[in-house]
Amino acid sequence: MKFSTLLKNSAFAVAALSAVGLATPASAQDSKAITTVVKISGIPWFDRMETGVKIFADQNPDMDIRQVGPANADSAQQLQIVQDLVATGVDALAIVPMDPDILEGILGRAMDRGTIIVTHEADNQANTHADIEAFDNSDYGAALNERLAQCMDGEGKWTTFVGSLGSRTHMQWVGAGEENAEKYPGMELVDPNNESFDDANGTYEKAKEILRKHPDIKGFQTSAGNDVLGVGRAIEEAGLTGKVCLVGTGLPNPSAAYLDSGAITAIGFWDPQKAGMAMNAVAKLMLKGKQVTDGMDLGVEGYESVTVTQGAGKGLLIVGNGMVLADKDTYKDYLF
Amino acid sequence: MRTKDGHFTVLIALIVILMTSGALVSDGQYLSLFNLQSMAGQVPEIGLLAIGVMLAMSVGNGGIELSGIALANLSGVVAATVAACFVSASGEPATFSLIFILAALTVGLLGGLLNGLLIAYLKITAILCTLGTQMFFIGLAVVLSDGRSVRVGAPAPLYDIGNGYLFEVPVSFLLFISVACFIGFVLRYTPFGLWLMMTGSNPKASEYAGFPKHKVIVATYTVSGILSSLAGIIIASRTINVKWDYGTSYLLVAILIAVMAGVRPEGGYGRVVCVVLSAITLQLMSSMLNFMELSNFVRDFAWGALLLGFLAIGRFRLIDFFSPQVRAVSSSVQSPQAQKQ
Repeated sequence: MKFSTLLKNSAFAVAALSAVGLATPASAQDSKAITTVVKISGIPWFDRMETGVKIFADQNPDMDIRQVGPANADSAQQLQIVQDLVATGVDALAIVPMDPDILEGILGRAMDRGTIIVTHEADNQANTHADIEAFDNSDYGAALNERLAQCMDGEGKWTTFVGSLGSRTHMQWVGAGEENAEKYPGMELVDPNNESFDDANGTYEKAKEILRKHPDIKGFQTSAGNDVLGVGRAIEEAGLTGKVCLVGTGLPNPSAAYLDSGAITAIGFWDPQKAGMAMNAVAKLMLKGKQVTDGMDLGVEGYESVTVTQGAGKGLLIVGNGMVLADKDTYKDYLF
Repeated sequence: MRTKDGHFTVLIALIVILMTSGALVSDGQYLSLFNLQSMAGQVPEIGLLAIGVMLAMSVGNGGIELSGIALANLSGVVAATVAACFVSASGEPATFSLIFILAALTVGLLGGLLNGLLIAYLKITAILCTLGTQMFFIGLAVVLSDGRSVRVGAPAPLYDIGNGYLFEVPVSFLLFISVACFIGFVLRYTPFGLWLMMTGSNPKASEYAGFPKHKVIVATYTVSGILSSLAGIIIASRTINVKWDYGTSYLLVAILIAVMAGVRPEGGYGRVVCVVLSAITLQLMSSMLNFMELSNFVRDFAWGALLLGFLAIGRFRLIDFFSPQVRAVSSSVQSPQAQKQ
């Protein structure tokens, strides 16, 4: 190697090392570390989750708590992050898997290495110590429908939207909704299970068709996050605001305008902030070697009395009661 | 005399720097056996794809390979489906693995052959052709798997490719290095390698010289396709499942690795050893950023900065600037980069 090349390389070294100097030092020696890994960084849902992780970090100053996530929605990138984190020797991981199947391999190895694994939105994950779900899917579907029935006074035609017929949770929600509607003999289900593919525009077109076909329709129950926006727009443009009820899964910020105008009656969701706190709370319990038992209080709103059953693998399935139904008056408490 | 290759020196230097600084920021954890194994296990899939991109670029004619990761996923999906038709993964793990590997390699070969034929004989620009075949491969994989992930399971021999260790080194990494050595050998010491690089550096001259130009192009893309399917086998083995949308970000990263390795986008020059080092550099860097608890957006930024840095090195011949003797030699040669090595 030439001397001049060496010079140049050392210039590189100086640059790299000065960049490293800015880095945070490695975690303190004996404190336990829990890292939350989300599907993607920088989208409202997971920014909201991060606020929960930060609250938990403030409540537990002795622990090293933080949240990370890939910059792109790619299961390979999430896999790399999880792999690197396992290698750093983090004590516990709280993961919202992009694709539970892809992570099975590394999670299995992490558990062999003694890392505590807690997952969320992955009730089919086999290699996890505990999977936390915000609510029971049937309860949620029934609650959405109950709110719809209340708005419709238990009378009239109604229909349902799902993201796709293959979406297991969506089908569970509308199925439970249909069951709930049987309590009201006046409610008549027409053209059920329209597929929206979570596309607000497509849903808008489809909702317009339904409004034309059934001019006397009184209610919509929707499932995918963007459905309320499409159906809400169709209702508003048809001048039916206040006459047709719309209850479905949605996020407070995007739905705000339609909630204010009354085109959306109510939205249902679970609060990622609380889910993030609950995951960390379970991880902390497990790090201390404590058992999570049926009916336990995790100390997080919506998870005061959790149902604990055997999960898909050896781990537990922990179900909370964290559903939120927000309408015009209450959505401002959950702006994300 | 060999043309001085700045990328090799810079990459080696970067690897040393990254390892040292990684050890500093993590109290040595970064250089622990577990992490070294973990990083080595992550390199092969993207490294194989990058070698595929390098070959496509080197053969010239605006060569590029955009269908790599799609073909890798398709190989995995087809192989998992086919193998599951014959035997169960848990019942006869050895037979399952064999069928899986053969099926995946066949798909890679056919996919690469398709690319090569389209580009060589129908004269479709490589960027358009591979973009088209990329969508075609993705579509096929979606249809075959119904959009869901296909379970491969953990049949012993196949599982070991992605997760096993030989003398504490991940098997997948050893596989990657041996494939890289083989390709490097072929490029350097066989007529095919010479034809490939010469076709890339001056297609017209090589045609007049009587090189089988079309066959060289077809063979190059076929090899590239086989490399993709190897990546697909490693992915399937590491993740126990295959899915059509795995690694969507790999497409650009593979190109980034090739450019960082000094492969000429116009064709005619590329060294496998640099591609390997460049893939290792990127892995070291992204793992270090994870160890430093930095946001993953910083990683994109750092990769971008690296790429621009390497482009500057290539463009302004910074290495020559620092070594006057070499500059004197190379300026006396008409087209130094067209020379082999």
